[in-house]
Amino acid sequence: MKKITALLLVLTMCLGFVVCAHADSVTLNVVTSYGGDDGNRKNFENAVAAYEESTGNKVNDGSATSNEEWKARVLTDFETGSEPDVLFFFTNADSEPIINAGKVVSIEEIRSVYPDYAENMKDSMMAVAADGKHYAVPSAGFWENMFVNKAVLDACGIAVPGPDYTWDQFLADCQTIKDNGYTPIACSLFEVPHYWFEFAVMNNGSLATQLEVPTIGEDGKLVDDAVAQKWIAALNDIKALYEAGYFPENTLTATDAETVALFGEGEAAFLIDGSWKCGYFSENHADTLEDYVVCCVPGKGDRPATDAIGGISMGYFISTKAWNDPAKQAAAVAFVSMLTSDETLSTFVTTEVTALKNGASPSGLNAIQESAAACNANITGVVGAVQDTITAEAKGQLFSSIQKVVTGQMTPAEAIETAMKLN
Amino acid sequence: MSSMIYKKKSPLVLFLLPAFAFLIAYLYYPFLQNICNTFLNIGGLGRAAQGLNSPWYENYSRMLTDPDLRTALKNTVLLTVCTVVFQVGIALILALLVDSIRVGSKVFRTVYFFPIVISATALGLMFNLMFLYKGGMVNQLLLKLGLLATETKAGGKLVVQWLDWKDSSHFLFTMFMPVVWQYVGFYFVILITGLNNIPGELFEAAALDGASGLKKIRYVTLPLLRNVLCTCLVLAITGALKVFDLPWVMFGAGMPQNQGWLTGTYMYDQTFNKMNVDYGSTIAVLIVVLGVVLSNVANRVFQPAEDY
Repeated sequence: MKKITALLLVLTMCLGFVVCAHADSVTLNVVTSYGGDDGNRKNFENAVAAYEESTGNKVNDGSATSNEEWKARVLTDFETGSEPDVLFFFTNADSEPIINAGKVVSIEEIRSVYPDYAENMKDSMMAVAADGKHYAVPSAGFWENMFVNKAVLDACGIAVPGPDYTWDQFLADCQTIKDNGYTPIACSLFEVPHYWFEFAVMNNGSLATQLEVPTIGEDGKLVDDAVAQKWIAALNDIKALYEAGYFPENTLTATDAETVALFGEGEAAFLIDGSWKCGYFSENHADTLEDYVVCCVPGKGDRPATDAIGGISMGYFISTKAWNDPAKQAAAVAFVSMLTSDETLSTFVTTEVTALKNGASPSGLNAIQESAAACNANITGVVGAVQDTITAEAKGQLFSSIQKVVTGQMTPAEAIETAMKLN
Repeated sequence: MSSMIYKKKSPLVLFLLPAFAFLIAYLYYPFLQNICNTFLNIGGLGRAAQGLNSPWYENYSRMLTDPDLRTALKNTVLLTVCTVVFQVGIALILALLVDSIRVGSKVFRTVYFFPIVISATALGLMFNLMFLYKGGMVNQLLLKLGLLATETKAGGKLVVQWLDWKDSSHFLFTMFMPVVWQYVGFYFVILITGLNNIPGELFEAAALDGASGLKKIRYVTLPLLRNVLCTCLVLAITGALKVFDLPWVMFGAGMPQNQGWLTGTYMYDQTFNKMNVDYGSTIAVLIVVLGVVLSNVANRVFQPAEDY
């Protein structure tokens, strides 16, 4: 009896597998950065649900929070043949390895079969790869600026910074905030020193020179030019902030999530982050949304506070593996088309730039989004992030060295030299 | 009785071949390929090698001068000692205690074994919450007990001097404690099984000779448990050398400030984050060599008795 039951169970299982294998619906493996506590996580989930309902296809969502580890994991997946069918990824130097290896298909090739693909996008705003082709359909753009917790400033008797906020004023405010028992800057130097690095570089140079990177000479040493000196000065600025105690006490052991929570809970005053954080605060701190203001990162030297970092740096790629699979090709094209449609993108966008020909139509801005829009109206210049122009290995090495720089274990020059040798 | 009770051995070989082939393909071949990779220049997983390193032994000479690898080795040796002393030690004490009770021994077996079945990632996240800087269970408890300094600032705000459980002074405890705790139950089960296999008549005979309590443990239990203890020690040593999941979830890449590396986490970081596959392979070879050497040392020191 037991043998018969076991045999029946095995037969049923086999039948189930056969049925599944012959099902008409397609399962797409999708990886995006809309994971974890990303501000657009809900919007992405809604868009995926709408796609599944309208097409009958299934989406295996392998999304995660964007950080250096995630980028490395994505590249490794491509190298080991485990790449997803659709990837939402950076369109800068980070994606060069997968483009150069022919692991993603160009928009030109897709349009040869699907002429309407990404027709709602301005081609001039799509990222151009080294071979002159486009590979990624752009999503919402981004801006990086400074979030301020107004409640903390009020408690310390400090006014909300304006568009002419200077570095010296910022340092004075940080000291006042610290004296009142609050943490001036919410930043995890262990995990995400990226934004402070970017603006520190611009503060020691200018918008025009932001994308210049230091180089290594033929002797294997860092070339001591103006660019190198700019980066050295930037790291020294971060070190000065650390030594003054303006970062959280556990900035070298805290995660980014912890330090952002510090800001959200009214324990820290200043946070440099990106446009995606508006969605995060809207979702996680809706009760205190009025406390958050977006303003300009304090300026120094040739950089006015109103110069910012921004652009369109991410987009949807279709992998060559999916493109060559007849069952998945159409499904992948339909997925990207749906996720980048005017209607869907308008739910992701509030104040960010897009490549849409007709522009986005975001519905109703909340307090923090209105603040961001007001700040963006004052922006005098925008440039992409210089860290996006160097290789992932160099970037990882540079940012992991910042802890050693601020604690004096490494000089800024050594940190930059070690990193740029990997560029 | 001879183990070769079958006249025809070919059926045995037939049944052994599939597993043997699987191990050759998925264990021994990759292991040998890994050794070859230590001499090549490989810039990413899945990428073709860009020829030999220059010089070909570059990775091995780098190992000798790499300060982060030295840190990883030091921490791993410390963890190995803690694992042997605390993990196996506590498991032994618990096994001896549980073996001497009649009622409720099954409950204790289940309770002590339970942490093993929980994913190490989930445990890491749990301990992260416990040791959270502000709001973590441990710090909240210390604050309630008045063990944390507080200061009232100019504006009336109360500032607490939270303890950073992941800083240079505390990270070893915070890293080792969950790792040691997780596998106590594993060795407990092995040891209690070993204890159950000791014939009860020996204890009766010992009791008749006047041995009781600690004397029974010293002269009867421990000698008869020697083989099992030796196995546990070898498992503990090799396990400590390659531990990765829990420390990685809690500490990430070398936190704090490259002082928190273990051989397993450093190998992972070099291979997957730094894309230095050949150097990661070299560290993997080092882990294997250390495992073989240390387990041989453990075998010799605690030499399994053959006459039991």
